[in-house]
Amino acid sequence: MGSVQSRRWFLVPGVIFLLAIDMVPLVYSLWVSFYEWWLVRPRDIRFLGLGNYLMLAADPAFRRSVLVTCTLTFGAVLAEFLAGLALALLFAQPFRFLRPVRAVIMMPLFVVPVVGATMWRLILHPEMGVLNFYLGLLGLGNPQWLADSTMAMFALILVDAWRTIPFMFLVILAGLETLPAELYEAARVDGASWLQAFRFITVPLLAYIMLVAVLIRGMDVFREFDIVFVLTGGGPGTATETIQMLNYRVFGLGHMGQANAIGIITLILVALMCYLLIRVVQRSR
Amino acid sequence: MRTRKLLTVLALIPALAWTLFPLLWILTASFKTELSLYAKPPQWIFSPILENYKRVLFNIPFFEYLTNSLLIATGTTLGSLVLGTLAAYGFSRTRFWGSQALRFLILVTRMVPRMTLVVPYYLMMLKIGMLDTYTGLIIAYISFAMPFSIWLLIGFFDDVPLEVEEAALVDGCTPVGTLVRVVIPIAAPGLAVAAIFAFLVSWNEFLFALILSGVHSKTLPVVIAGLTTDLGPLYGEMSAAAVMVMLPNVLMTLVLQRYVVKGLTLGAVKG
Repeated sequence: MGSVQSRRWFLVPGVIFLLAIDMVPLVYSLWVSFYEWWLVRPRDIRFLGLGNYLMLAADPAFRRSVLVTCTLTFGAVLAEFLAGLALALLFAQPFRFLRPVRAVIMMPLFVVPVVGATMWRLILHPEMGVLNFYLGLLGLGNPQWLADSTMAMFALILVDAWRTIPFMFLVILAGLETLPAELYEAARVDGASWLQAFRFITVPLLAYIMLVAVLIRGMDVFREFDIVFVLTGGGPGTATETIQMLNYRVFGLGHMGQANAIGIITLILVALMCYLLIRVVQRSR
Repeated sequence: MRTRKLLTVLALIPALAWTLFPLLWILTASFKTELSLYAKPPQWIFSPILENYKRVLFNIPFFEYLTNSLLIATGTTLGSLVLGTLAAYGFSRTRFWGSQALRFLILVTRMVPRMTLVVPYYLMMLKIGMLDTYTGLIIAYISFAMPFSIWLLIGFFDDVPLEVEEAALVDGCTPVGTLVRVVIPIAAPGLAVAAIFAFLVSWNEFLFALILSGVHSKTLPVVIAGLTTDLGPLYGEMSAAAVMVMLPNVLMTLVLQRYVVKGLTLGAVKG
């Protein structure tokens, strides 16, 4: 009779598969990033050392893409956090009719990202789109959503927010539901206002969950590709070219050394955020 | 209490409008003639037609792409279920030096940016001649789906009492037999959720499909993104295609509600 401990061998195939599929490409990518490596000239590969990285550091296109990515990440996460928090507070109330509504609010999260972006592209279309008609009725003009640099960034934030506000909402709501009701009863007895209860009970007790949600979303937006690709393709010009879009463009040019170098830099930046997340989770234990 | 209820309902209206407006607009657009698509003010009530759906289904080889998407998603689901179940069972039943760290490492693989992976992955697939194959995509997607499957299933296996297994072993079941005949039936709901999530991971994925697939393995998201290039004349068709690709996902929402939070945060909330 096999002891239960012998079950550890069950996890070997899965773990090896997973690590191989992630680690082998990453090591290979690091290696390629040290070379001058064009896809069209497979015989003409030269060792550059850190050359690709140094070239990127001096490249204005790369620097701008970092700025664009940070703007998008900050804008989208802020919008999603505020809206998600407001929704969660709304849904934390003890009304029975809120339950079915919650399922509806969750829907955007399940929409295929590419399809969601496509849908919004149709809606934002300046002539045929429906949004500008209603904005016009409200006297808000006829914004050229995807043709104007600022509006294009705004559109990306809008669409990302549409898709993932439910994420923030659900995570914060899950946190709210674990808070003991007695605390709020006690606060009410002591004459605390709704705002005071929020400020002195909800915020401190939920700080951890909110920080985790913000960091997870931050990492996700930082790596976002689908929505940017479909909505703006990095345009107009390179106004919304995130690091990921730049990476895709450089890859398309066949400049493999540099494409891999950008990938490794992204990985390092995301790893830093991930480290931060882990520290937060560990400290709370 | 009554005023509070009223205020809540009032606050729900913009939230629901924001959520549903784009979905409803696309749904109606997919049933419109070209004339009513261009109509100002936008028409919400009109006589629906099926032309757009017919054109998507028969003019672009939609069924071919649908088959690609379905086969790749099925392969991903099966692969990640088999590997994920074995791994989760192993993690659930054993503790050894570094097992916690290993669990954690599996979670961290989810954080690796896809773009960072796809570039070297492309070069490797190019080298071994596996570009534009189902297998190339399925292998990648299994690795995307597995971290979640493993974490979800560990929770379900932890709930299966050890005594049940011991009884099976005494009756002469092999360890694999115990897993298949005793443990899996008890944890079946967990497997169903893991399967649905794995399916959706594959169904939704865009970047790897964009870069790795070609004429033989193009999936629906790539086709949809491709339609956007010449927007004007395809407005109706695109809406119809969007609705069709979105449909399975929206239906899944209803099935999966309970597990969504768990899946999204991978247990971060409960720690």
